[in-house]
Amino acid sequence: MYKLLLCWRYLLTRYLALVCIVSVMLGVATLIVVNSVMAGFSTKLRERLHGLLSDIVIEAHDFQGFANPEGKMALIQSDPFLSQHIEAMTPTLEIFGMIQFACNGTALARPVHIIGIDPAGRARVGGFAEHLLLHKGKPSFELSPEALERQHVLHPPHRLDRIAAMLLPPPTDGKPAPAPPPLDVSPPSTIIIGYAIAHFRAKLNPDGPPEEVRTLAPGDDVIITTIKGHGLRNQELSPVQWRCAVCDYFKSEMSEYDANYVFVPLSELQRLRAMPDRATSIQIRIKDYRDLRAVKDRLQTLLPAHWELTVHTWEDKQGPLLAAISIEKGILNVLLFMIIAVAGFGILAIFSMIVVEKTRDIGILKALGASNRGVLNIFLSYGLLLGAVGALLGSAIGTAITIYINEIEQFLTKWTGHELFDRSVYYFNEIPTDLNIWSVLVINVGAVAIAVLFSVLPALRAALLHPVRALRYE
Amino acid sequence: MLENLPLLAAVNLHKTYRKHAIEVPVLTGVDLEVFAGEFLSIVGSSGSGKSTLLHLLGTLDKPDAGRILFNTERIDNLPAEQRDRLRNETFGFIFQFYHLLPELTTLENVLMPKMIALSVRGWLRQRRTLKQHATELLDRVGLGHRLHHKPRELSGGEMQRAAIARALINRPRILLADEPTGNLDADKGLEIIRLLRDLNRQEQLTIIMVTHNMEIVGNTDRVVRLIKGRVEDATKSPSLLQPTMTG
Repeated sequence: MYKLLLCWRYLLTRYLALVCIVSVMLGVATLIVVNSVMAGFSTKLRERLHGLLSDIVIEAHDFQGFANPEGKMALIQSDPFLSQHIEAMTPTLEIFGMIQFACNGTALARPVHIIGIDPAGRARVGGFAEHLLLHKGKPSFELSPEALERQHVLHPPHRLDRIAAMLLPPPTDGKPAPAPPPLDVSPPSTIIIGYAIAHFRAKLNPDGPPEEVRTLAPGDDVIITTIKGHGLRNQELSPVQWRCAVCDYFKSEMSEYDANYVFVPLSELQRLRAMPDRATSIQIRIKDYRDLRAVKDRLQTLLPAHWELTVHTWEDKQGPLLAAISIEKGILNVLLFMIIAVAGFGILAIFSMIVVEKTRDIGILKALGASNRGVLNIFLSYGLLLGAVGALLGSAIGTAITIYINEIEQFLTKWTGHELFDRSVYYFNEIPTDLNIWSVLVINVGAVAIAVLFSVLPALRAALLHPVRALRYE
Repeated sequence: MLENLPLLAAVNLHKTYRKHAIEVPVLTGVDLEVFAGEFLSIVGSSGSGKSTLLHLLGTLDKPDAGRILFNTERIDNLPAEQRDRLRNETFGFIFQFYHLLPELTTLENVLMPKMIALSVRGWLRQRRTLKQHATELLDRVGLGHRLHHKPRELSGGEMQRAAIARALINRPRILLADEPTGNLDADKGLEIIRLLRDLNRQEQLTIIMVTHNMEIVGNTDRVVRLIKGRVEDATKSPSLLQPTMTG
C-alpha cells in the first residue's frame, strides 16, 4: 500500500518528474500522428492502387501477347469454381509508346503506357469508368459535341470542296440540290488520356497558390507512336504512328497513372499493331475479395503451362510499392521510438536525481521494515505511472491532432504562406489519416515499457542502498 | 525462568568501517543485555559507536563478528525478509532528525509501518480501525490537532512526538531511540523523555536510548557507557555520570 501512496505523492509533488511526462507525451503524440498519417496514406494508396488494378491479371510473357483471348476467357468460365467466383473479365492489350502534341506552338513528346480496352468490358472489371471526367460511369471513345466542334476548327473542310459546292449549278427541276460531299472531320481514332498529361500545375501569380493549366482540350490532336511486329513470327519490329483526338481524361488521383496512362480502343490497337485477336492480359474481377488466393491458385492450375501465361494478384503486381510503404512505415516507427528512447534517458537522469534526493527517505522506509523489493517497486511503479500519464496525455493530444490535421494544416498554410501539403503530388484533397486503435495501444504499451525499463537502474540503486548509509546521507 | 533472561542481548559485537582502504574499528567486543521493560541509556563520546550499536541491535546493519540475540534467538544472521519483519513489528525506531517522510501528513507518517506490513487488500479492509488507532496514538503524544499537517508545518518537538507515535503503531517490543532529544531545546527534550518514561512504565515498553545528554539519563533505569568500542556499565561506577566525563 505504501508503494502506491508514495508513488502518487511523488507524482504530485516532484515537478522535475513532469519533464519525464512531457517527453513521453510528446513522443507518443508524434508517433500516433505520424503512424495515423502514414497508415492513411498507405490505406488510400492501396485503395487507389487496387481501385485501378483488377483483382487478378493473367499476363503474357512478352508484348506480342497471346492469341484468342475470348477462347481463354470461355475456358475460364467453363470451370465451375471459377465461374462461381469471378464477377467479370476483359482482355487488354498493353504496350509502351510515345505521345506527341503541340502546346502554345511547342511540340511536346512524352513516354506513355498505351492500353487497348473494350470500354464496357473494362468498366465491368472496375477501377476505370469512375475515374473518367467527361463520360463518368459510361465509358466511351465517342467525341462530345464540343470536341467535335474543336476537331472541325482544327480540320476545316478542304477549300476545293467548298469552291466546288459554290460552282455547282442551281437545280432546275425543282428537286433539292444534291448534298455536298461529306466533310471528313472525324479523326482516325480517339483516345482517353491521363489527366496529368493534359494538365500541369504552375504558379502563374507569384503571390497566389499554384494553378492548374490545361495543355490538351477535348478534341485536340495527339500523335501516338509505338511498335508493331512483322516478318517471321513477328520478330522484326517497326514503328507505327497514328493521329487521334482526345475524347476524355482519366483522373485516378494517382500521379503515377494519371501522368503515364492513355487508353485507346482495343480493336484499333490490335489493327494498328497488326495483332488481330490478340491481347497481352486478361483482367479479372472476383466476387469476394477473400477468395483472391484460391481463385489465383485455381487459375494457375487451369491454364496449360505451354500457354506461358502468368497469373498475378494486384498485390503481386504492386508488391514493391506496397513493400516500400510498409518499410517506410517500419523505419519511421523505429526512428520515432528512438525519440521515446531519448525520453527514456531523460527519465533515467531525472530518476537518478530523485533517488539521490530521496536517499534519506529510502533509509527511513528500510528502518520501518520496507524490503529492498518494496523500495524497488516504489520506483518502478513511479516510472510506470509517469509513463502511463505521459502516454495517456500523448494519446489524447495525438488523437486530437490526427482528427483535426487538415484544419491544422490549413491554418499553418494560411499563417506561414507556404503550402505544407502539396496536393499535386498525390492529388489527395486532404491529408488522409487512419487512426488505428491497435497501433495506438501498441505505442502506449511501448512507451510505458520504455519508461519502466529506464527506471530499472535508478530503482535498483535505491533498492540496494544501505539503510544506515541512507539514513546518514546529507 | 524466561524472566531472568535478557530480551535483547549483544555478545562480543565487532564492527569496523572502511573508508578509502583505512579501517576504523568502532565496536571491539560489545557485550550488552537488555531486559524486558527496562529503560536503558547508552552514553558515550561522539564517534564512540553508540548509533552503530543501536543500528546493529535493530538489525539495520550487520556486525562483522559477534551475535545479537532476541529472546535467546539469534537475529543478526537472519535472512533479509525476516530482519525486515523484525524492524517492522518488533522494533520501533526514533531518530535525532525525526526522519518523517515529507510528502505525507502526520497521520500517514504514523500509519507508514502498518502500510508496509499490509497488502493493499489488507490495508483497505483494516484502514478505518488503523486510522482510529493512529489518531489515538497521536492524541496520546499530544498531536490530535495536527493529523493532516505535513512535517514541515510542525515544530521540532511535534515532529519527534509524531515519530514516537509512528514507532509505536505496530506495538513493538523494543523502542530504539537514537539521540531523540539531540535536536530539541531542554524543555522540549525533557517532554520527550517524560513521554518515553510514561510509555516505559505504563506499557512496559523496553526502551534503548542513545544519548550524550547527561541531564536526561537520570530518568532511565540503567545507563551504560561505550568506551573504546566496549561497554562499561555506568550504573556500577557513578563517576561515569559526571558531566565532565561525557563527550
